[in-house]
Amino acid sequence: MAEGDVEWELSKENIQPLRRGRDISALHQALSLQQEASNSTVCQHRQAFEAELRVNDGEDPLDVWDRYIKWTVQTFPQGGKESNISVLLERAITRFAEEKKYYNDSRYLDIWLKFAEHCPDPLDIFRYMQSKGIGVLLSAFYIAWSEEYERMGNYKKADCMYQEGFKCGAEPREKLMQFHRSLQARVSRHVMSAIADQDSSEEDDAMEIEEPQRITLGELKTRGKKKAVAPINRTGNRVIKNPRGLQMNAPLGPVQNSCLMVFDENKASFVPQEPKPESWMALPSSRAKENEQRPDKWTNIKMPQKSRFGQVIRAPPSRPNFQPFVEECDLPPTMTPCKINPSVNLVLSARKLCREETPLKRLQSHQQQQRDEGRAPEQSMYCKELLFSGATEFCFEELRAERFRQKYRNREGSDS
Amino acid sequence: MSLFGTSSSFGTGGTGVFGSTTTDSHNPMKDVEVTSPPDDSISCLAFSPPSLPGNFLIGGSWANDVRCWEVQDNGQTVPKAQQMHTGPVLDVCWSDDGSKVFTASCDKTAKMWDLNSNQAMQIAQHDGPIRTIHWIKAPNYSCVMTGSWDKTLKFWDTRSPNPMMSLQMPERCYCADVVYPMAVVATAERGLIVYQLENQPSEFRRIDSPLKHQHRCVAIFKDKQNKPTGFALGSIEGRVAIHYINPPNPAKDNFTFKCHRSNGTNTTTPQDIYAVNAIAFHPVHGTLATVGSDGRFSFWDKDARTKLKTSEQLDQPITACCFNHNGNIFAYSSSYDWSKVERHLAWRGVPCMDQSGGHRVLWMHMFYWSFFFYYTWLSWDYGLRSPVLFSVITCCS
Repeated sequence: MAEGDVEWELSKENIQPLRRGRDISALHQALSLQQEASNSTVCQHRQAFEAELRVNDGEDPLDVWDRYIKWTVQTFPQGGKESNISVLLERAITRFAEEKKYYNDSRYLDIWLKFAEHCPDPLDIFRYMQSKGIGVLLSAFYIAWSEEYERMGNYKKADCMYQEGFKCGAEPREKLMQFHRSLQARVSRHVMSAIADQDSSEEDDAMEIEEPQRITLGELKTRGKKKAVAPINRTGNRVIKNPRGLQMNAPLGPVQNSCLMVFDENKASFVPQEPKPESWMALPSSRAKENEQRPDKWTNIKMPQKSRFGQVIRAPPSRPNFQPFVEECDLPPTMTPCKINPSVNLVLSARKLCREETPLKRLQSHQQQQRDEGRAPEQSMYCKELLFSGATEFCFEELRAERFRQKYRNREGSDS
Repeated sequence: MSLFGTSSSFGTGGTGVFGSTTTDSHNPMKDVEVTSPPDDSISCLAFSPPSLPGNFLIGGSWANDVRCWEVQDNGQTVPKAQQMHTGPVLDVCWSDDGSKVFTASCDKTAKMWDLNSNQAMQIAQHDGPIRTIHWIKAPNYSCVMTGSWDKTLKFWDTRSPNPMMSLQMPERCYCADVVYPMAVVATAERGLIVYQLENQPSEFRRIDSPLKHQHRCVAIFKDKQNKPTGFALGSIEGRVAIHYINPPNPAKDNFTFKCHRSNGTNTTTPQDIYAVNAIAFHPVHGTLATVGSDGRFSFWDKDARTKLKTSEQLDQPITACCFNHNGNIFAYSSSYDWSKVERHLAWRGVPCMDQSGGHRVLWMHMFYWSFFFYYTWLSWDYGLRSPVLFSVITCCS
């Protein structure tokens, strides 16, 4: 066990914390595998899961997804692209988006909560879930939502969430009450400390706005009347959007939520006006957009052979059939003549707005496609859903091989 | 060769391809069937190399077996031998001297079958099913190249249990082709890697896929000096890309074309798009043949960029094809390719269809006026029998 400890010690900062903690043996195994840079067992395991996803026609397809996601999270402690976790979560969600029977299944809720953690704006996700009715009967949902509010400093809303949970009769009730109590304790502690600060700093109250004094690794607190708290974005397992980070350096204002809020002195509270829970068409975006651009035309620059103004600009011939006379003072003819006429402003033409492929749009187009079934101009004559239903694609032979293996296993089972 | 006459090109018994009134979709080309077919879908076909006199055809199937037939000059086939694996056979190839056959299977092993002694021994082991197998004959070495779903490409000296070399690929190998000194491997997630085999195999270049959909099959073509110069890549959505490795003008020389689609002209009904299951190049003329899930095969001329011929539609997808060493015979197998998974398929018996004897039909090829085509074809009927069909092309001297 001593060697295992070493690996853990050496890569602590690379391991994303899990709420429930990590299984230590799995962690050691995962870390040691990465040390050896051998991933064939991981590869095989993943292939097995992918195959199971496609072949499973049992009563409970969610089970396979659930196990697959749990395995991925344990095996790839850093998260990140290699684990494919965000793709996996998204696929799992869309796969069961219409299946009401899973809406209050704790495993499905678990997947949603993990997905929300990967999103830049979890509150959006929670609102969507509420509007759809996903997880509204489970305490874990309200707990997670309220924790999100708490993280942003909105204690009032955090408390509201628990009330909401009690109102909806979320189960298990005791857990909800327990977490509520601890929230209340935290809130009261916070209020006490704020009051204490205020008392001690009344002399300094002359200045209206002061630059926040930063305590290392502590919460940023303001001095003065404003009770706003800047959001601290320590890198956890959330994808942080850059604008948030920038806000930290700016003087504080009551900007905790994405919607713009104008501070009104007359209004005591600064509960942000939440967007009404409209019927959501689709899920909010989940990825860091700059990493997910579709390959698109970079510019629509065209290299004209002749300029529009009558001057002939020709590309240098590759093999001139005469010896070009070169004066010594001339530059060697390796520089290609500028083919871009500066008055023809082709280079700086507006870049085509590339269609942002967010999961929101993907789900929308998926639903649209389902509605438009039969009206498509082209139809693929193969089982597209089966090939692409997991996190990675499969080919026909892989599908068939998996069926064969299943059949073989059943036969073996029945023989023995 | 005036056996079949030169003037009228349609049929010996009035049963021409184009004049046929009865639509026999089981064998529309009216070809001779191969006897003793495998019991399940054919996954791969390979003809013997020129060093072996006569024509021998090897076919691997999903019934875990590999069969060998001798194709005689009169077109009749004689089953010769068979070997078994413990899993479906995915690919086969011949050694250059024609004495050995290499077979790759889902049971993660590859075997070397010595035809003279009819013994097979294991020569390779992977962590996942082996999808492709090719024989490489270089001046300073010779080995077997296996590509597998465990994302590795391994090279085996048949005498040693350990690979001579193992190359890591970004994704699972879906198809490959080798023409010394070039090898091309197409992987999952639209990956495409070219290897050079001189001295020792090494990765030459990774190419951005010219196709938008999953890669399904690849075949290398040669230039007029008989050197490999590019490859044809087929996808699961009815398209083939012709790609040259070092063309003078990439934008113009490389192109893709649509194939294996139905309802082309009819704009009201949706166009059905089928997978391209295999591509083969004619060894002499350089024309290519593609076979697809729609149950048709087509011949194309990539230099003239035209379609030469499309067959009638068979009732089942065509899964594999190959030309013999001099291009006289074209073999193709019609069997289910799992493009539309239907759970009841293949595990319940379906009444066996009549295997009609099949007449030979000859017809003139549009482009090469001196060609005569005969076809015989292979059809599979849901697990009970799979006759092998092949077509015989004889060149008029």
